[in-house]
Amino acid sequence: MAEEPVDVLIIGAGASGAAFAWSLAETRMNILCLEQGDWMNPESYPGMRMDWEASQLGDFALSPNARGRREDYPVNDSASPIQASMFNAVGGSTIMYAAHFPRFHPSDFRVKTLDGVADDWPIDYQRLAPFYDVNAHMMGVSGLAGDPMYPPKAVPLPPVALGKLGETLAKGFNRLGWHWWPSDSAITTQEHEGRAPCINAGTCLLGCAQGAKASTDITYWPPALRQGVTLKTRCRVREITVGDNGMADGVIYYDADGVERRQQAHVVVLACNGIGTPRLLLNSKSKHFPGGLANRSGLIGKNLMFHPYAMVTGIFDEPLEGYKGPTGCCIMSQEFYETDRARGFLRGYSFEIVRSFGPVSTAMRGMQWGRVPWGAAHHRAFAELFDHTAGMVGICEDLPEPGNCVTLDPDLKDSDGIPAPKVTYRLSENSNKMLAHCVARATEVLEAAGAKETVTEAPLPFAGWHLMGTARMGTDPQRSVVNEWGRCHDVRNLFIIDGSIFVTAAGVNPTNTIQALALYIADTIKKNLANLFD
Amino acid sequence: MSDATHKPGLSPDEMRTLASVLDEIIPPSGDGRLPGAGQLGIAGYIDAALRKTAELKSMIAQGLADLDNLARQRNALGFAALSREDKLRLLNEQAFVLPLTFHTYIGYYQNAQVVAALGLQPRPPHPQGYEMKPNDLTLLKEVRRRAKRYREYRCICE
Repeated sequence: MAEEPVDVLIIGAGASGAAFAWSLAETRMNILCLEQGDWMNPESYPGMRMDWEASQLGDFALSPNARGRREDYPVNDSASPIQASMFNAVGGSTIMYAAHFPRFHPSDFRVKTLDGVADDWPIDYQRLAPFYDVNAHMMGVSGLAGDPMYPPKAVPLPPVALGKLGETLAKGFNRLGWHWWPSDSAITTQEHEGRAPCINAGTCLLGCAQGAKASTDITYWPPALRQGVTLKTRCRVREITVGDNGMADGVIYYDADGVERRQQAHVVVLACNGIGTPRLLLNSKSKHFPGGLANRSGLIGKNLMFHPYAMVTGIFDEPLEGYKGPTGCCIMSQEFYETDRARGFLRGYSFEIVRSFGPVSTAMRGMQWGRVPWGAAHHRAFAELFDHTAGMVGICEDLPEPGNCVTLDPDLKDSDGIPAPKVTYRLSENSNKMLAHCVARATEVLEAAGAKETVTEAPLPFAGWHLMGTARMGTDPQRSVVNEWGRCHDVRNLFIIDGSIFVTAAGVNPTNTIQALALYIADTIKKNLANLFD
Repeated sequence: MSDATHKPGLSPDEMRTLASVLDEIIPPSGDGRLPGAGQLGIAGYIDAALRKTAELKSMIAQGLADLDNLARQRNALGFAALSREDKLRLLNEQAFVLPLTFHTYIGYYQNAQVVAALGLQPRPPHPQGYEMKPNDLTLLKEVRRRAKRYREYRCICE
């Protein structure tokens, strides 16, 4: 049964969909968002329970395959050394991200010009800067102004607690004379827009029951709904439909009861992340687009970029109180961010200092590392690790390669019978060299900070948090899927606003840039309403 | 929806053997501060966990039965009655010890008594959270002195 047409239909209520809906709401257009997940109840987050750490193996596992919730869809990532991580709910993956919130750098938009690889973006840092500022307020970003690695920027709230762990590592960086700075974090450190400040519970990856971590269910969605946007949950879109004129005319979706429904729309906006968006486009075949919607370039699903992560954990003699504080936000270093060809690779990486683990995770990781055996030696081995570790992750810039891609799995389907995505990915030689450099430098820092031993994991297999590049932005329809403001070259009333449109990945977490892009695209649409499809 | 608590768990004999095995996986600490996993009652947690995973439950139940049979064949005593050395010798031969250790660690280290013995408050992290000391930003003195480190670049296509 077809429902009344809406002006704008947004698919996905995560980082980008929420920001976009909020920005466009002021137009008073009829805006509907369909989200396959549901609202989360912060009071039921694992941090409220004694078994909170075990939830990382169950209902809050990073991989949707491990969680197996109805709201999630499976991803065949068996052909990738990095597993895809995402969460489906109002708020999307911001429910379980670390909220590390750096911006891209000016140079990140000019990779081809500056370093001769990949492509330049069709927009630049200055274009996005005002939208980064808006996002900083809406998400409640904490940090410290004056970082010499960035142009001056708005940081509304003071930095998160560094703690003994952070200050110990900071001293290590200082001994080497290397850059470090308190992390930009989407975590409130003071009362902000009705949100309470962080209480250092250390459960960021399991949802924040305090509401200090910015997930879009508590930041953008409440004001967007107050302004009249409609959000329907547990509605999973199967395909975007196309009219005789080759324009998108709506979607077919399954509602909470599994009933197939049709929703017509004048504008369709995809906000489903770098895997969900190409999956939906490839599932939307028609006589106009037999190879998938908006795919005349053949680039839908191609150029998938993760951030290859290296993790080096230092073991210290003294306790570091590392179980306290925001899990992934503390300090970061960009000493090796910009290209130096003498290193043997192009582009660079950021270091992020992460907290250590609670008792369960210490025992599990100790077991995985072969350092916490069962039997008589158990207690001594556990005591050497618990509260005596500090972790550093290196987040390496991935470069786009057509062979790294999202396709449709021929067999795997979600709970509504919709074909699931398959990820094919390999690490490039450039990435492998960067990871090796990153591990060596991280080890130096940890030793300078006083670590007596280190444990290395690279690439980190579960770290497929950042999904980018699979419907890239550009001015040439042969070499890109969307134009410089997110409109599909092939379908002029179809917009993409998530990480799919990234041209390159930079060496920082992408959520802040995803949201700045969504706000910028919404702003451009508002300015061009009279001739949106020209 | 299936309710794991209604699925059959381990038998009383298996639970007795399990408790004895758990005290070998995590024995009491030498200083008496931390109890053994069996003594702490982690067998109950394991039993509940295994009810949710039939395949693992079958593997561990079979492993416990084999362990006890082997103990009787070699020593004419059930596993629980063996000496520490004999217990360890037998356990080192058993494949089920690895997955059992995994679940034992989870059950043991989320137990309030253990958490308290580690020096933490025996409560979930929320809603109280933790106090942390104010930041010492004087550590940034040297970094602040450095010149800007980013490459400035504007779009030339506009």
